[in-house]
Amino acid sequence: MSFQTSLIRWWPCLALAVSPAFAADSDTAQLSKDPKNWAMQSGDLSNQRYSELKQINSKNARNLQVAWTFSTGVLRGHEGGPLVIGDTMYLHSPFPNKVFAISLEDQGIKWKYEPKQDPTVIPVMCCDTVNRGLAYANGKIFLQQADTTLVALDAKTGAELWKTKVGDPKIGETTTNAPHIFKDKLLTGISGGEFGVRGRIAAYDPNTGKLLWKAFSTGPDKDMLIDPAKTMTWTDGKMAPVGPDSSLKSWQGDQWKLGGGTTWGWYSYDPQLNLMYYGTGNPSTWNPRQRPGDNKWSMTIFARDLDTGVAKWVYQMTPHDEWDYDGVNEMILADINVKGKPRKALVHFDRNGFGYTMDRQSGELLVAEKYDPVVNWASHIDMKSGRPVVVAKYSTDKNGPDVNSKGICPSALGTKDQQPASYSPKTGLFYVPTNHVCMDYEPFQIEYTAGQPYVGSTLSMYPAPNSHGGMGNFIAWDASSGKIVWSKPEKFSVWSGALSTAGDVVFYGTLEGYIKAVDNKGKELWKFKTPSGIIGNVMTWEYKGKQYIGVLSGIGGWAGIGLAAGLTKGTEGLGAVGGYKDLAKYTELGGVLTVFALPDR
Amino acid sequence: MKKFVYLMLSAAACMAVMPTVAADAVPYKVADGNKVDAQTLSGWKTWRALACERCHGAAQEGMVGPSLVNSLKVLTKDQFKETVLHGRIEKGMPNFDGSKMVVENIDNLYAYLKGRSDGAIQPGRLTEIGK
Repeated sequence: MSFQTSLIRWWPCLALAVSPAFAADSDTAQLSKDPKNWAMQSGDLSNQRYSELKQINSKNARNLQVAWTFSTGVLRGHEGGPLVIGDTMYLHSPFPNKVFAISLEDQGIKWKYEPKQDPTVIPVMCCDTVNRGLAYANGKIFLQQADTTLVALDAKTGAELWKTKVGDPKIGETTTNAPHIFKDKLLTGISGGEFGVRGRIAAYDPNTGKLLWKAFSTGPDKDMLIDPAKTMTWTDGKMAPVGPDSSLKSWQGDQWKLGGGTTWGWYSYDPQLNLMYYGTGNPSTWNPRQRPGDNKWSMTIFARDLDTGVAKWVYQMTPHDEWDYDGVNEMILADINVKGKPRKALVHFDRNGFGYTMDRQSGELLVAEKYDPVVNWASHIDMKSGRPVVVAKYSTDKNGPDVNSKGICPSALGTKDQQPASYSPKTGLFYVPTNHVCMDYEPFQIEYTAGQPYVGSTLSMYPAPNSHGGMGNFIAWDASSGKIVWSKPEKFSVWSGALSTAGDVVFYGTLEGYIKAVDNKGKELWKFKTPSGIIGNVMTWEYKGKQYIGVLSGIGGWAGIGLAAGLTKGTEGLGAVGGYKDLAKYTELGGVLTVFALPDR
Repeated sequence: MKKFVYLMLSAAACMAVMPTVAADAVPYKVADGNKVDAQTLSGWKTWRALACERCHGAAQEGMVGPSLVNSLKVLTKDQFKETVLHGRIEKGMPNFDGSKMVVENIDNLYAYLKGRSDGAIQPGRLTEIGK
């Protein structure tokens, strides 16, 4: 037994013994309460992406104009967005993961950081080198580099304070997620579901970079920090303990070791319950015949105790995935009435096309409805078992390897990918950027080689047939009833994070490069064409009495890849013309932050 | 008689063309655009298994990575092998010399992509000639 394995075996005890003694809360949550700041990637702990600022409102939004711009000097996909704390903006770029501290006074660069990374990480990020942004706490900036290095920088100088590796690119492990600060902990995940990595989430000490706890998505209970008697899940219409070996029993042999269940989405935290929430990604491979069973706990919402990492409850949305419907999308925490009863709810728009409303305290399943009417792979979610009722002709497992299952909606991109939705406590509605894309899916047998792609399926994607012809919608969603309130069609997938505001204006970006402002009813108030397609998230702040709106543009990411995967049917549905070339009529690569404000009177 | 002459002419035409074909050593056999010899079929399966389409496009037309329809008109077979096995790391092309499947099928992969580049093999699913 190596030192490392013995440490892993004993670390839960270490974590329990050590972490409370050194617990010192971060200032992040407090800073995020001041709407002048944008101190977290989602604006707050709850992932609401809502701002109390209202200088920009539904009456004057049409007057918005560019205040200033900033080029990151990097091509490829720009996801996430900047942070603003006081008089400084902190901005990241995709690989090579530059960090800029920008003065809000004169837009001067206070400092710049550019890590040296092994370029061998680029191929294993195939096909885009995105990064979803920075975190801030107690005078430190945290960057999760592509090569899995987690680094802390002095927010004043950009000097490196500490760094640690959270994965190994040689076996296909990379990192694209934003690190998250909750209370006294720095949380980070892992990417590489298409390389057969074993997903996990880990908590680090923000002061030292020391590992506090680590919880895998698959494998033995102790590795997953699952307590067989106390970790609960929705079972036969009520919550019940998961029981021993809940993951091991759901895989054949050792396949769980390559099980995927990666964790590259947006996490949230409820300080009252001391629970953190996140989702796990697809099981590896994409050929479902090679991994019989439910493949737990891939495709799962996890609620974990922040201090110990122990799972309070789990809910698997897509048991035995057959379509690549990763469950990593953001978990939005909102206190809402659900079917007439006040609930501490968790709302999640899954890749699989269902919008879920859960009780975030107990883990009970409350609502699960389609948030795009074209979703067809399952007829509905059986509310008693919590399982999707799969439509046989869209089952790529039933149809088997080397059979092309056609017309599956949504595509592997999901009805929504990571692009985060927004919740407005003012309207009680969720504003959701969505994809309106379907696919043909042909799995095939594949062998695992460490560090090589482990996909095992050929896909063809195209706009949802018999609809408006576009590939996206921007919708308003009622999570209480599980109903679409309004839906605004878009030519391309809406791959940008939304922002709602107390000024009754909701913002989002499009792949052609427009930033758009709509009112609470979805009426377009304003749009502006930024230099490149938008896959970044819209955010807002106030400086010297003025409200600003910021968004990163820079086309790329899977949006671009997905579009490129072929939108008009060529031979065998693989002809790759149409959509992507269509997008090329509107935009080109290039990372730029564009900042907007109302004109001075 | 007429038929015989036609056959003779055809044979002559074939004889005339054959040497050039042999000199160029077309590395694949194809019928109807989507039926190929066993080796070329293995090349396509290698292309598919290593998810090359994620960068090079489902029809080798290029995406994040370059168009292989174009590249295979320029690269020699040795350059192709060098690139696939050792990669072009800075540009994002991985080295595939760690993959048993690629190492064993490098000639077959070349045959398949050459056929795609020549326009002789159609994009998408292939089957073996006579099966």
